[in-house]
Amino acid sequence: MGKPNLSNAAAIVGAAESDVIGYPEDLTGHKVTSLQHHIQAIKNVSVQTGIPISEIQGIFSAGWSGELAEHLGVTPRYLDTTSVGGCSFQIHVHHALAAIHAGIIDIALVSHGEAGWSYRGGGGGGGGGRGQVSPGAEMTAAYGTFGAPSQYAHSMVRHFHRFGTTQEDFAHIAVVTRDWAQLNPRAVMYGKKQSPFGGPITVQDVLDARIIAWPLTLYHCCLVSDHGGAVIVARPEIARSLGTNPVWVSGAGESMGHQNILEMEDFTATSASRSAATAYKMAGLGPEDMEMAMIYDSFTLTAGITAEMLGLAPRGEGYTLWKNGDAAPGGRLPINTNGGGLSFNHSGMYGMQLLVEAYRQLSRTAEDGVNGIEGKQTEATACVVNGTGGTLSTTGTLVLTSDDR
Amino acid sequence: MAYNKPIPPQGQHTKPFWEGAKAGKLMLPRCRDCNRVHWYPRLICPFCHSTNLEWIEGSGKGRVHTFAVQHRAFGGWAEEVPYVTAYIDLDEGDRMMTVLRGVDATKPEEIEIGARVEVEFEQANDDTSIPFWRVVDQTGE
Repeated sequence: MGKPNLSNAAAIVGAAESDVIGYPEDLTGHKVTSLQHHIQAIKNVSVQTGIPISEIQGIFSAGWSGELAEHLGVTPRYLDTTSVGGCSFQIHVHHALAAIHAGIIDIALVSHGEAGWSYRGGGGGGGGGRGQVSPGAEMTAAYGTFGAPSQYAHSMVRHFHRFGTTQEDFAHIAVVTRDWAQLNPRAVMYGKKQSPFGGPITVQDVLDARIIAWPLTLYHCCLVSDHGGAVIVARPEIARSLGTNPVWVSGAGESMGHQNILEMEDFTATSASRSAATAYKMAGLGPEDMEMAMIYDSFTLTAGITAEMLGLAPRGEGYTLWKNGDAAPGGRLPINTNGGGLSFNHSGMYGMQLLVEAYRQLSRTAEDGVNGIEGKQTEATACVVNGTGGTLSTTGTLVLTSDDR
Repeated sequence: MAYNKPIPPQGQHTKPFWEGAKAGKLMLPRCRDCNRVHWYPRLICPFCHSTNLEWIEGSGKGRVHTFAVQHRAFGGWAEEVPYVTAYIDLDEGDRMMTVLRGVDATKPEEIEIGARVEVEFEQANDDTSIPFWRVVDQTGE
């Protein structure tokens, strides 16, 4: 193993605490929340160092990073919310050192807030509990939304309004993705034998399916199924020494827009535009160089707008990649060649399935064994992979390339 | 009939909002330094990062930013399907979630983005009145 010279690659430039610590309810007559401890400490360290909060590029915390970014109104390009107990913060500094050494960020915030006394018994202390519900959750709890479809539907309606798109436009994404699933015997929706609901579908089937949250019908929504996956990433010397075809991580980027969709500034856009820009720049490649794409398709809508964010189609026209056949088997730009979250498998956090399939395509193993049947292997040598997390909240983009590119 | 849908927990950072709601007032957090209203309530202004914040009484007026029609629900809300959820652009700035009133959930194509709305409050229990928004002018953007 090579020795990365991380020594002295970064320094801790300030450190501060929250305003009232210890047993605040005894001293002041009211409790302090975990969130308050975080925000006070962050404000104090910002004042101490003279570094404005708006210049924070990476947020490291034990489980709070998304919520803190949203509460602060910043959109970091490095998020680490590793939560492994009391040593999490030493590990955060280690990770921040690596990120700064790598040139990804210049300024990292490591934050902690835990009302271990004030909210004892209420999940406040003794190992990462968060105490009170966040103000954002408080202000949306009353309004009858249940799970992802109920929220993503609002984004689709705004897309209709802004770009003149329709349910039918997005339905093509479900149809084409189902076609890919017919080439993958592991897909939940592979053929009638696999599932009574399996086999190809038509645009009319999508439109006629029962409504979950208008304008999303059932076939606009991903599956809920079981899945496990793993990948190994290693340095080039090791990659070369193995008897497998390496797939290179040519570019990577991450970003977030919000945590609660209440805070989504533009309901038709995600932070993938930012995470993709970082990834493309690192790779020295652009959307025009991509020969396939693996795009998180929690809903047809998610795939459609993400294609726009990744620069694969003009704004408002992401769905046309599927409608005109580009994304389909044999098309110019194959997308979601495993059958997607819509028809292959979606366990809840689908990003791993994206990685496994991108590896199989670029390593030329897509037709091996259980991985697929003839016709699934593409000739792609460059693939953009984009995961979307939360409620159109957070994005991670990778540009992967094959060894023969 | 007793209110049978989820009642939000009240945290200690939002007391003025819930007190205002009980009195039929829409209280909004505003930054004394940059004068911008933000929603949801923060401990720090998400625009300029000042902690010099205050609560003001909002106009209770806004416009529909986007919406959806819920057909699958649980608990008390299951008895009301289909119903319309929406995001409201407040006249003061920033955005609030709601269940939209004054619209026909079976005709979503007739609901206009940009329609004018006004707030009203429903008492859920002795401590909690919940704001809901009602379309008062169908003219959209």
